[in-house]
Order: sequence, then C-alpha cells, then structure tokens
Amino acid sequence: MNAPPSPSHLSSGQAARPPRPGPVRDVVAVVLVAVPLGLALLGPLVAGAAPERTQPFLPDAGWLGSDFVGRDVWRQVLLGGWSIIATALCATVLAYLVGAPIGLAAAMTRRRWVDEALLRPLDILLALPSLLLMLLLASIAPPTAWTVVGIVALINLPDVARIVRAGALEVARRTSVEAMWLQGESRVAIAVVFIGRAVLRTLAADAGVRVVGAFYLVAAASFLGVGTGPDTSDWAVMVDVNRDGIFLTPWGVLVPAMLLVALSMGLNLLFDRLLSRRRHEEHTL
Amino acid sequence: MSHTPREPASQERAADTRVPAPPVVSVRGLTALAGPHRIVDDVGFDIAAGEVLALVGASGSGKTTTGLSLVGDARAGVRLEGSVDMAGTDVLGSRPPAGAVAYLPQHPAAVLNPVRRIGGVLREIARRHAVDDDGAPPRRIGRREIDARIAAALRRTLLPPPEELFGRFAHQLSGGQQQRLVFAQSLLCRARLLVVDEPTTGQDPLTRQRVAAELGELAGDGMAVLLLTHDLDLVRDLATGVLVLRDGGVVERGTTEDVLYRPQHPYTRSLTRAHFAGPGAASPESGAPAQAAPGPPRIEVVDLIAGGGRRRGARPILDTVGFRLAAGECLALVGPSGSGKTTLARCVAGLAPRRAGTVRRDGAPLPAAARRSRTQRARVQYVFQDARASFDEYRTIGDQVARSAVRLRGLAGDRARGEAVDMLARTGLSPDHARRRPAALSGGELRRAALARALLAGPEVLICDEITAGLDAVTRAGILDLLADLRQSFGISLLVIAHDMAVVARLAGRVLVLDGGRVVEEGSVDRVVAAPTHPLTRDLLDAAGAHRDSDGATATARTRDSPSAHP
Amino acid sequence: MWRYAARRVGFGGIQILAVALLAFALVEALPGDAAVALAADDPDPRTIARIRERMGLDQPVTVRFWEWLTGLFRADLGTSLVSGRPVTDILAAALAPTLTLAAIALALLLPLAVGLGVLAALREGGAVDRAITSASVSLYSVPEFALAIVLVAVFALQLGWLPPTAVGVSSLLAQPAVLVLPLVVLLARPICSISRLVRAGMIEALGSDYVEHAHRLGLSGRRVRYAHALPNALAPAAAQISRTTDWLLGGVVVEAVFVIPGLGTELVNAVAARDIPVIQGLALLFAMTTVAVNLAADLVAFRLAPRTEVVA
Repeated sequence: MNAPPSPSHLSSGQAARPPRPGPVRDVVAVVLVAVPLGLALLGPLVAGAAPERTQPFLPDAGWLGSDFVGRDVWRQVLLGGWSIIATALCATVLAYLVGAPIGLAAAMTRRRWVDEALLRPLDILLALPSLLLMLLLASIAPPTAWTVVGIVALINLPDVARIVRAGALEVARRTSVEAMWLQGESRVAIAVVFIGRAVLRTLAADAGVRVVGAFYLVAAASFLGVGTGPDTSDWAVMVDVNRDGIFLTPWGVLVPAMLLVALSMGLNLLFDRLLSRRRHEEHTL
Repeated sequence: MSHTPREPASQERAADTRVPAPPVVSVRGLTALAGPHRIVDDVGFDIAAGEVLALVGASGSGKTTTGLSLVGDARAGVRLEGSVDMAGTDVLGSRPPAGAVAYLPQHPAAVLNPVRRIGGVLREIARRHAVDDDGAPPRRIGRREIDARIAAALRRTLLPPPEELFGRFAHQLSGGQQQRLVFAQSLLCRARLLVVDEPTTGQDPLTRQRVAAELGELAGDGMAVLLLTHDLDLVRDLATGVLVLRDGGVVERGTTEDVLYRPQHPYTRSLTRAHFAGPGAASPESGAPAQAAPGPPRIEVVDLIAGGGRRRGARPILDTVGFRLAAGECLALVGPSGSGKTTLARCVAGLAPRRAGTVRRDGAPLPAAARRSRTQRARVQYVFQDARASFDEYRTIGDQVARSAVRLRGLAGDRARGEAVDMLARTGLSPDHARRRPAALSGGELRRAALARALLAGPEVLICDEITAGLDAVTRAGILDLLADLRQSFGISLLVIAHDMAVVARLAGRVLVLDGGRVVEEGSVDRVVAAPTHPLTRDLLDAAGAHRDSDGATATARTRDSPSAHP
Repeated sequence: MWRYAARRVGFGGIQILAVALLAFALVEALPGDAAVALAADDPDPRTIARIRERMGLDQPVTVRFWEWLTGLFRADLGTSLVSGRPVTDILAAALAPTLTLAAIALALLLPLAVGLGVLAALREGGAVDRAITSASVSLYSVPEFALAIVLVAVFALQLGWLPPTAVGVSSLLAQPAVLVLPLVVLLARPICSISRLVRAGMIEALGSDYVEHAHRLGLSGRRVRYAHALPNALAPAAAQISRTTDWLLGGVVVEAVFVIPGLGTELVNAVAARDIPVIQGLALLFAMTTVAVNLAADLVAFRLAPRTEVVA
C-alpha cells in the first residue's frame, strides 16, 4: 500500500496487456460464433426427414444443391456441425480428467523418480506433431468417433499435465503453504484449498485455448477421414468429399468450410476477450 | 570478495569540494500528485559535483518518486510539478540529456539486459560517448581505445578484466558485481548525476561497507550522488547532506552531522534515536533473561548436515552444525549471506529436510521435515523473512491468524477469532487490520501479523528470520521492543537470524557465527562483541557496530559542511 | 552451451527411438494378426499367408524389431504393401514438392512474423496494432483445409487470379503461381502464433527497466529498439517454434487440398490404405524432421536467452 511500486512493475504490467478489443470486435466475434453454433445445435432438430436423393452435384437440387451422392447439401449442413463440437468438447473434458490428476500427482510427490516417470513419456509425446500422432493411431484403431475423442485427448494430455503441474508446483513452493503447514493444516487440506484453487484458475485460463485446439484437431481428423466414413454428416467430411464438385456446386464445399472458419475465428476472439478481461481484473486487484 | 579496507573516501573528498561548484542538479518545488493525494510535496534541493545527498525516510515517504523524477521516470497516474534544472534546462517529465543521469535501482539486475553479453553493451556505451577527455567534439576512435576506456572503467569499479567479463551475461554476476557494472556503465557514459535507490537493503554489513566505499569513490571522481535510503549507517558513512522526508514533505535538512547527531524535528529525532541508540539503549531487564538458568536445553541440534541438492557428494549448505537453546534464552544466528543461517533455522522448524544429524526438543528427537505431529509443529514456530509471501492473498489477516488457534489448540472458530484479534492487538494491530487482506497492510504490519500468527500457536521456541530487514528505524525499534516484551511475558526461547549486529545486541544473550555452513564462533554477545576470536566475526563487527561505541569521535571527525543542502 | 546442446541432442535421439518403437508397435498393435487385419477386405487364407510371409510375421517379435531397426540404418524401410515399391523410393519421389513448399514457407515465416510483431508493438494500441492483433488472434487455429477452400473459392474460382490446385503441374517451381495459395494457408497459423509472441515480448521489453536504462545511457533509439529490446522478444518466439510442431504437419492437409504429390499426400493415402511400411517410414521421417527443427529452435532460444531451459 504505502511501498511505492517500482515503475517497471506498473509499466510492464500494463504494456503486456493486449489492446482493449473494441465493441465492434465483440459483435463480430459473437456473430461468428452464434451462426455456426446455432446451426450445429439446432440443425438436427429442424432437419426433418431425408428427402429423396437426386443426382450428385446438381446445383438446382434444394437450396444449396446436392452433394457427391445426391443428398441435399442444406440438410447435411444442418446435421453436420453437432458431431465436431461434441467430439471436441468430449476430448477436452477427457484430457482434463486424465491429465489434471497426473500433473497434480507429479507436483505433490516428494519422490523425484515418480515425477520423472509420470512426465518424461509425455515429454516425448509432446514433441511430436499431433496430426502425425493422430494418423499413426488412427491407422490401427477402429474408426469411430470415440477413437477421435481418445486420440485428441491423448494429444492434449502432456500439455494439460504440464500446465497443472507447473501451476501446482508454483503454489506448493510458496512460503504461504509452509506457513499453513506450520499452523497445523494437513497436507490434504492445503492441497485442496490452496493448490486446487490455483489449479482451477490455471485451468480456467487454459480451457478456451484447449477447446479451440481440440476443435482444430477434430476437424482436421474428420477431413483426413479419421474416425469417420465418407457418408458421415460432418462439415469437415463434407469439405473433403464434395471437393470434386466445387465447380458445379461450390456451396457444398464452401458453406461447411465457411462455417468451420467462422466458428474457429469467433471462438478465438471470444476466448481472447475473456482472457484479457481476466488479466485486466488481476492487474487491478 | 577481495576487498581491501580503505579510508572513508568522504574525508579525502572534503578537500576537493572546498570551493562550492555550481550544482549539477537543482530541484525546486517538486510536487507529485496521484489524484488528490500528494506523494511528494514541495521538495527542493541542489547537489553539486562530488556531493552525496541522502534522502531519508520510511517507505512511502516519497523518496523513490523524488528520485525517479530526476531520471525522467514517472509512474503512471502521477502528475509532476516544479522544476528539475540540469545545466540550464528543465528536465522534469522528460528524459534528461543522454548519459547525464544514471540510476541504480534496488535490484540492479532489473536494468541489465538479460540476453546481451556484458562486453557488447559496454562497447556500445563507450562508442556512443567517445568524447575526448578535454571535451572536444566526438571523433571516431578505434576499437583499441574503446577497449582501453572500458578496461579503465572496470578497474575503477573493481570488476574483473574484460577478457573474463565480456563474454558473460548479467545474471552470471553476483549482486555486488551487477551493482558495480552499473557504476562502470555510468563512468563510461560520463554521468554527472547518479541516483542510487536503497543500495544496501537486505545486505550484510560487509557489503554495506563496500558499497559505501565505491559510491564514495564515484563521488570523489566528481559525480553528484543522490542516495535514497533508510539505512542511516550508510548515510553516516557516505552522505555530505541529508534531507529527511515524511509523507512527501521535507521535515529536516542539513549536513549529515547536524541531522544525525543534532536533529531538530521530532520525527528525525525518533529516527536517529531508534537507530543510533544501539545496544546501550537495550532495556536492562530484557537483557537479563538471556542469562537464563542453565537447565536442560529446550532445543538441541547435533551434527546437522543439510542442503546442497540431491546429488551425492555435493557440498552441503550446512556441514555438521550443532547448538543448544535453553528455555527462555535468545540465540542469534549471524553470518554473511549464504552461510547457512536460514537453512539451519528451517531445519529446526521442520521446513527443510536434513541429510544427517538430529534435532531434539526437551530431549526427545524431532522428526525431519513433513513428519512432525501437530503438537511438535505448534511448539516450534517460524516467522518468515518475507512476511507478505507467507500470507494467502485472498483471505483476511484475522481469518488466517485464527487458524493457528483452530488447528493447533483446537479452539472453535469464534473463540479462535477472538484470540486472534487479541494477539494482533498485542503486536500493535487493530481489529480493523484483522478485517483487511494482506495487500492492504504495509510490510511492517504484516511482520506483526506473522508474529501474532506464530504466537497464537503457543510456541516454546520462536524462530525469526531477518525480522527487521528492510524496515525503517522506527518500525524496527517497535518490533524489537515487542519481541523482547513477548519473550518476557511468554517465556519462549528465541532463535533470531540477523545481519544487523544492533539487532543481535538488542535481543540476544548468545550468538552463533556461521560461515560456509560451519560454526566459526559461539559465545555470549558481550564476549563476542568485546573480544571476537574469528576474523569473520571481527569483520562483521567492524563493518556494523564499531563506530557505535565511539559515536562522539566519529561525529567530531565530521567537519565538512554541505552548502547545497540549503537551497 | 555445449552441455545443454549435448543433453538436448540426447533427448532428440530418445524421441526418434520412441517413434521408431511406436511405428513398429503399430503392426503389433493391430487387433489379432496384422495380416488378417490387412487382408480384411479379402479374407482368403492364401492372401493372409502371403502378407504374413512378406511382413515376416512368422518370426518372434524381438527378431523382427531388430531386423527392422537395423534395416533403418541401411536405409531399408521395407516395401509398400500396396504398390510393392521400396518405401525409400516412394519417400524420395515425394520429397521434392514437400521440401520446396517447406523451404519457401520457412524462409518467409520468420521475417513476416517478426516484422508484423514488431510493427504491432511499436504502434501499440494504434489502428495497425489492432488490425494485426485481431487478425492473428482470430486466424490462430482455423483449420487449414477450411481456410484453403474459402481462399480457393475467392481467388481461384471467383476472381480467377490463381490456379485452384496443382493438378497437372510438372514442377512447383516452374509455375510459382501454384504455390501462392498453399503458402498462404501454410503460413497463416505459425505467423499468427509467432507474431503474437513477438509483439508481447517486444512490448514487455520496451517497457522494461533495462530499456529505460539503455535510453538513459544515451544509446540511440534505433539501437535500443532493435539491439536491446528485440533480442528479448525473440527468445520466447524461438522457444515457441520448438514447442508448436503442429504447423509442420499443416503441410499434410495443404498438400491434400491442393493435390500436391508430396509426403503429406503419401501419408494420407497410406493411412487410407493401411499401408503400414509406408506409414512407418513417413512417421520416422516426420519425427526426425520435427526433432531436428525443435533442436535448432531450442538451441537458438538458449543462445538468445541463456536462462530459459526449454526442455530437459
């Protein structure tokens, strides 16, 4: 309070903050997210029964033409968003469920070899391109949506474990934790109250980036045909299978591609906004 | 550290500054406003070449804001008024002329580029200021001459020669070397004014003596020095004039001698009395229990080996150390930084693991870190040096302090909170403090709260790590009184770590001197102060307390006057 | 430095070995017998026996791993189950287009990313900064294939400025127009992530005490910006390059979309056909490239900021 902070604290703290996003950017972000998200979540409810198949790549069939096997593109668009979003969310949750305990265990252990044994293998995983890992695993695992969930979670596992470990370790080494121990608090209580709180903050900051990353991976996997068949209703699959007809019925490729781009951009902008607000609050605390 | 003791540079300098030179910097009516709050209020002073002006005051008195306004650094949200005149131009609110002012912050590492090698930066500076000594306009000078100038600056500041230093990064230097590197840079850019912020906070007395000598030499070279500090020993050793600040305003100004030994203002008097009173002022009754009845030791440490990393064969930080602490006794751990004082204290408290040796309490062995029972933890309490870091920033002080009573004495929440408020009151904090979060308390207040937290556990042994470091004289005296008083009323044994021999003499009955992880001297404070046997102890005493017993003589030796301290 | 480099190289070696093990384990991990699985479309006992013999599945695991591993050192990666060509031949043929694309991308990446980051930092809060920051935030994790389709629709189909794919192009360098869209897509993600880091690092450095100190020492503004602040901003960027390896494989998707006959296309085809020897060979090649790039980036980061211990 009365100790004047050195100028560097203030200036660097303020400077490192990204520029305040304007209201225009917020509106753009909300629209970018709302349109694809609305289509993905509500689409399956309003899609209705499948109409009769027409010729492949027929521009006049339906609103957006027909796809590579003559299905209505608009109906496929309505059906195709849900699976990507659900898969990405499931993968993120699974990565946290498995990764957080590993990271916490590594941070709390007093035996160095346990720490090493838990994290070194993950280090090796972390250093490999995630798509490569995905393709390798996909080439042996059965092609289902749960395979993709598992693979994407596995790819995110090292990151999650590391982040949790670092967050917990930083807190566990604090003088205030030692002071609490001297006050007779049990290790478990300290871990739950103190470290848990810090780790939750870390995870809250990380969740946005992680969901967007999972979304990216799931989309790429679907596009490459991992875990999906060619006739799956899935925006990424649509882009892949309808590519040959881009000259005849461009909407069959372009609409799902634009929806994916919009959702990804919008999520990035929104999470960035949330993060910068959180950072702002922490600075003014 | 190969430091050869030298005569205080200030005395040689006295002769050089007989003719008052025009001031290097002239400050008039400096006022800093943060909203309606006046951080600095109408401060004015001059500093001439070769003079050292000390700005003295507690933290929050406006020292740093004043100092920073001279280096062209304003904090966000602070409005500056008045004038800072350097060589005929007002530099307030702008950057002073290139290279004219150098600034050494409390942590010198902050101003050294972490990713540039030292040599490259020094060459850049030297090339930029490649002016002939007679002040002729810049001309291109060769690399050889540049290197020669750098080598001279390094010699002047007692740094290693270029071939050793140039390839290194700043973080590979010790704190003292970093300080001196900034001095060398200031020499290379021919700075006329050097602003130094708290150069000795948290340093041992030997370091303080070295810093004083180095700054004295720079001033002897004709630099004007502005010293921001609350270290009155440094002021006495170094400054030619003193300005005492309180709440942003000047309460007293004058020559060092006048201000330190004939203070006029009550605040200055309280500062100097608290500081220079020394061991003589220690209330006799607080010294008495130091000679406690020799009973069985409350704490006994035998052949303790600890620290030094996990690798086998690595040199331990503590190498076979032992001592005894009787009931009601106060033992001081003394030694230079890195001598193992804190490791020893943490082993006793059960905070650090040990490799070998035993710690006994009342004859029964205390387990090593992490395996202590709640009672064992309660009996040996620790007050951390960094009090702020020892509190959880999200909960109120009262709640946190009360946990000691809840967990260690089994009190219910309400009663524990009541006792916490009472104990905080004993340490001088109000119920209002108890309701605040740590961020709303000052460093001194947090130390009191940390003390209350430890005492509420009902300890038999209290370990205090540098409990007064970095505090101004008045706050420090308050804490020391409190400790002495608590020891009397609770009869607890104290183990205090201190750099400051005045603190040792004030509190402790016995002293243990550590160096390089071993005990080099042990004995009663009286005996050790009067007749130290180990050279390190002698150095520590020389650096810290030697002039205390001859204050009169030192004062009469100071006959310099400091005209510029009266603008 | 050398000790760090040695440790880092050792770690890279372990990584490559781990991938080799993983790639080999692929065959073992196939449910049941690999041969049965591979012949799934045609469960004729004779086919299975033929595949089994060709893959050496009648020998014990350890023998097969040893032979496979020693084969690697003789540059013998086996033969494709689909075409029967040696895997090394397939890789060699596909190498040129991928290398061309990767080399140009890498040459453009650093100047563009650092330039944009520095520009945004120097104009902090201004319109230029807002534009760069918004673009880099929003494009950061857009799937390449979707971005590619949108760009093709606009620039190839609608405006007709650029060719939509590389179909029928003999050499990429002979018709550079073919390369424009793939490069834009390939660079989008890494430029975004690196320029954001450079911007943040630069802003922090410009506001730091050591930069203020350098100004006070009288050094010129240009030197302070580019010789004192910038090196501090580059270290985290270099460390980031070593940590985000995904973009290397962005090439796989880009090749698939633009029909460039490179390693990525081979990988996708091999995965689709479950052509295990080709997948193994490609996995090793990609792993070695990744490890080498990471190693280089880590060493640069270490050189720039000797305190950052990136891995190990």
